[in-house]
Amino acid sequence: MSRSARTTVLAFLFLLPALLLLAVFTFYPVLYGSYLGFTRYNALSFGNHEPPRWVGLENFRTLAGDELFRTGVVNSLKYLLVVPALQLVSLAVASLVNRRLPFVTFFRAAYYVPVVTSVSLAAVMWDWVFNKDGPLNWALKTVHLMAQGTNQSWLLDPDTAFWSIMLVTFWRGFGYYMVLYLAGLQAIPAELEEAARLDGANAWQTFWRVTVPLMRPTILLCSLLSTLSALRVLEEVIVFTNGTGGPLNSTFTALLYVYRKSFGGLDFDYGLASAAGLVVAALALVLSIANFRLMREGSVRA
Amino acid sequence: MKRFAMLSLALALTSSTVALAQKPVEIEFWTFYLSPKFDDYINGVIKAFEAQNPGIKVKYVDKQATLEQELISSINLGNAPDVVNLWSDSTWAGADNNLLLPMTDLVGRSELTRLYHANPLSNFEANGKVYGLPWYGSLDAGVMSYNTDLFKKAGITKLPTTTTELVAAAKAVKDKTGAYGWAPAIKDPNGASFLGTFVFEGLPIVQGGKAVFNSPAHAKLLQTYVDLYKQDYIPQELLRKEAFQLSTELYAQGKLATIIGGPQALTRIRDNNKEIYGKTAVVNAPLGAGKVQPGSGMDLVIPRASKHPKEALAFAKFMTNRANQVAFAKVVPVIPTAKGAETDPFFAKAKGSKDPIERATGLVGASGASIKYAIPNVGKTDDLFKNFNDNIEAAFLGRKTAQQALNDSVEFWNKNMKK
Repeated sequence: MSRSARTTVLAFLFLLPALLLLAVFTFYPVLYGSYLGFTRYNALSFGNHEPPRWVGLENFRTLAGDELFRTGVVNSLKYLLVVPALQLVSLAVASLVNRRLPFVTFFRAAYYVPVVTSVSLAAVMWDWVFNKDGPLNWALKTVHLMAQGTNQSWLLDPDTAFWSIMLVTFWRGFGYYMVLYLAGLQAIPAELEEAARLDGANAWQTFWRVTVPLMRPTILLCSLLSTLSALRVLEEVIVFTNGTGGPLNSTFTALLYVYRKSFGGLDFDYGLASAAGLVVAALALVLSIANFRLMREGSVRA
Repeated sequence: MKRFAMLSLALALTSSTVALAQKPVEIEFWTFYLSPKFDDYINGVIKAFEAQNPGIKVKYVDKQATLEQELISSINLGNAPDVVNLWSDSTWAGADNNLLLPMTDLVGRSELTRLYHANPLSNFEANGKVYGLPWYGSLDAGVMSYNTDLFKKAGITKLPTTTTELVAAAKAVKDKTGAYGWAPAIKDPNGASFLGTFVFEGLPIVQGGKAVFNSPAHAKLLQTYVDLYKQDYIPQELLRKEAFQLSTELYAQGKLATIIGGPQALTRIRDNNKEIYGKTAVVNAPLGAGKVQPGSGMDLVIPRASKHPKEALAFAKFMTNRANQVAFAKVVPVIPTAKGAETDPFFAKAKGSKDPIERATGLVGASGASIKYAIPNVGKTDDLFKNFNDNIEAAFLGRKTAQQALNDSVEFWNKNMKK
């Protein structure tokens, strides 16, 4: 065996354990789940010991006719609005804590706390914040952004529930992206920024013309990750709406549909749930390709 | 040699019969949200059962929110539990999907009606067969616990006995004290509570296999509640939270004057606010125009996949027998549904107690015979309830008129209901 062949074999041997785990816990479920999307397989077939039965596109036709699923898809796409906000703020905060300041480690850690806070705990806190007598209303009244005597139940109003839950997603996510950005920022050689300053660029110009272009790979990685998680938002919706999808289904997301169909109790419908999951996956794929396109263009220009 | 062979065969036979007699059958028993609070009671019953049935061992497991999913996966993996604690909706879904053994086939109808009251049995009946042994139950509006202080401040001298009087009292409390007077279940997340309100007020839900809850009388009733909601006489959070949970929260903070429902809420008040618990008095809940008391109950079912249905049945019958159900009601204010439990002197005696929980137990404890689930088995409850709640919510939020909301929901139900 030649040296390079041996290296290849060795490399695969090292990869094998991880690949096996992936095969069992990722590839197989993904493939089987995709297959289920084209079959009829529900609680009744399960109870009667019948295997999944191939029905072609029937599940997708059912989905197309289900208003609840359409609402879910629209809301999930609308949820993507959180992505630019998340990216801008976490990049800004990352560059703020990327300085030698007293207590900067404390701030870095503090911003990361929401990431490691369990969603159920966060729900208790935010539930209180959004309450009619909660601190959010109080704060808005204090700064006169809200008229005294009025009261807003943020999670009850179909016009605000969606944005309120999105705010929680934002709060839970930005520390994570901040850390990724921080790592990216620290990889940028200080000389480049120094050179820019010597050339007379102010802080804003340095940030915008030097830092941001160099950060492009990180920015695109973070956008990709946050796009995918925005599209798959579920936990927040479940804890804030008890799994119902909020006032007038204004926070009913596509994945909540999948969840309700598959884990709704003894009347589950795995076929329909898998088909709905496939639709979400297809959307995610399209958005990921779009992200990669952007990344390639970016690197050509840089 | 031949003799030796015979001997060894005989030995082998005896030893195997001995092994059969000695190796007990182990059955697995799942409860729903009962551990660790009621471990002593449950384990006590199990111990008594095992003493009477030396061949059977019971493994006790408590499950919580994911009980149904875990039941499905354990059936799939071939290690299904033998006795499982379910409730009406899940029992019906299990029965319709062929996951449960019909009790009527195992025990016989006459034996079932000898042991349990007819209403609770009907709560677990699907397609002409009973699928669960009735266990403990509760009434949607069993007792009214009220904060005597708030009632006094509101100037209420005559306690409400009808819904109309209750609405008047709720308005008086809100106007004079700022606290809410009443937190009725209008849209609990895991059910279709407003359907219960219809039944409570004597209005039908399903007739002749068709949903009929959109008559002008239904719409008028819904409108009454919508008005209360809009005028802030009932907490708006009721659209988002379970009434039981919200009631106990607000009542314990002194922000709500009454809790209508089972006495189980009182345990939480006692644990959270001793002072308010001390000011609490308990009376029979006001009745609606229907003069009925819808309720709901827990049952014990045997999955079709159980490997020991005979032993499972013996245990399920033991757990739900009269003596054990009454004993449970003495531990926690639940309502026994076994026939004869209502005659237990404990309930009559508790009625006269000064302690709110004991008195509440006394008031409702003997009403097992009347526990009837408001909603019939219509199949696909997930979709039907969600659609109903969505429409009710649209009415409360002013996006649809009450009549329109009910029309839309009835249309959906008649399209998707089990025929």
